Amino acid sequence: MPSINVMTRTGESRIIEVAEGISVMEAVRDAGIDELLALCGGCCSCATCHVYVAEEFEGRLPALSDDENDLLDSSDHRNERSRLACQLVVNAGMNGMALTIAPED
Amino acid sequence: MATMPEHVPETMSRARAPRPEHIPEQYVHEIDMYALEGIEQGYHEAWKNIPKPDMPDLIWTPFTGGHWIATNGDTVREVYSDPTRFSSEVIFLPKEAGEKYEMVPTRMDPPEHTPYRKALDKGLSLAQIRKVESKVRKVAVDLIDSFVSRGECDFSAEYANVFPVRVFMALADLPESDVPTLSRFAKMMTRPEGNTPEEMAKHLEEGNKGFFAYVEPIIQARRGKEGDDLITVMVNAEINGERITHDKALGLISLLLLGGLDTVVNFLSFMMIHLAKNPQVVEELRADPLKLMRSAEEMFRRFPVVSEARMVAKDQDFRGIELKRGDMILLPTALHGLDDQLNDDPWRINLERRGISHSTFGGGPHRCAGLHLARMEVIVTIEEWLKRIPTFAMKPGAQPIYHSGIVAAVDNVPLIWSER
Repeated sequence: MPSINVMTRTGESRIIEVAEGISVMEAVRDAGIDELLALCGGCCSCATCHVYVAEEFEGRLPALSDDENDLLDSSDHRNERSRLACQLVVNAGMNGMALTIAPED
Repeated sequence: MATMPEHVPETMSRARAPRPEHIPEQYVHEIDMYALEGIEQGYHEAWKNIPKPDMPDLIWTPFTGGHWIATNGDTVREVYSDPTRFSSEVIFLPKEAGEKYEMVPTRMDPPEHTPYRKALDKGLSLAQIRKVESKVRKVAVDLIDSFVSRGECDFSAEYANVFPVRVFMALADLPESDVPTLSRFAKMMTRPEGNTPEEMAKHLEEGNKGFFAYVEPIIQARRGKEGDDLITVMVNAEINGERITHDKALGLISLLLLGGLDTVVNFLSFMMIHLAKNPQVVEELRADPLKLMRSAEEMFRRFPVVSEARMVAKDQDFRGIELKRGDMILLPTALHGLDDQLNDDPWRINLERRGISHSTFGGGPHRCAGLHLARMEVIVTIEEWLKRIPTFAMKPGAQPIYHSGIVAAVDNVPLIWSER
């Protein structure tokens, strides 16, 4: 199982094991990191699973859809590393990926 | 309607459109979106009675000017998602009425649509909406406190019809005394009266004109002014580098009112009827604040209220069905959230559900711009309600009256609880 390094809003770093095929959002939520609200449960409609993904993993992520792009625009904290975790399906290439939970809007 | 004897089904007096040549007889089903058969049992139940296992993805009805109807969630989603095949040139039925609809930018396709949508998003973004959460919460608390000691209320009249509207009027900085007028215009547009497309078109046009006349002086007064209310932000928005034109501003501001006045109102009533009948779900919500917050999406899936349409943009073969440019396709969002191919055991509120699938906010470039506000209104309502009224039920003998249309409606939701 790939593992992902999650940096919480309080600066705590946690390494979580994630199953391939589920979304990064589900993996983080299932690990009990509740500050990732993920209100819509993965429908790509709420922008509350906003994370920053380390630059070196950019090439291993799926392309940004129009819906995801619009939703990220809806946050005050968007930057060039921004993604919605519900849109990132875990694959083997993500092993060791570092992500930071974005500040709450 | 009042003059009609009660035993005559409403559909008897409804105009039927002739079947166009390209539509084979076997696709025809007599379905009246404004008077669904079995509506007295419930709006979602009435829609779900229509699809049958062997039914094609689209069926055609001669009512409401003659139009196609998507019969499952996958078709609803696909039609919403592709504006190159399915245009927003006309979105309300009957088409004759939809052509009188002048809201902006709901009848535009990309790329014309895009800058208007950006302007809307700016005012309704998650970040903006989070800033008004305390205001929204206060509206909810004040309303519930006004009737909690009574041990009963008509949730529809005393909460659902008031709460989203008060919130919206506060965000738009408009007086609450204008609400009845605006609610009437909204109803004329989403459930227009009449037995022929022409009569319905006339009714819808009147509602649309009513909105425009109402917002005209407000736009004039807020042009070029400073302010952070929704209307001031929108009327001073830039479209392709120029300030939005007056005509387009009329449509944009009117759309905000229409969208904010009729949808959440009715959604909340449907949700509350279900919760009143399912105390185990209420208990689950009460037990876990995070689960409660995450329940909103499952509620959206379970209680879709909108059925609007798309216009076929070009002659095409769609899943083996011949479509002609100009054909209208009704997209009942109820048939997506409640589709058992996409959501297992769809009638059940399952707060642990994974992979929720619905089109309650529509889809594609026109997906509801107010979805962050709607989600917050739902969460705040459940939270504040359960803090004050932890258990409640339908009043014995209560019979909610349901209506179908572009937006579904419930007239009465009598609830009771033990006084505390």
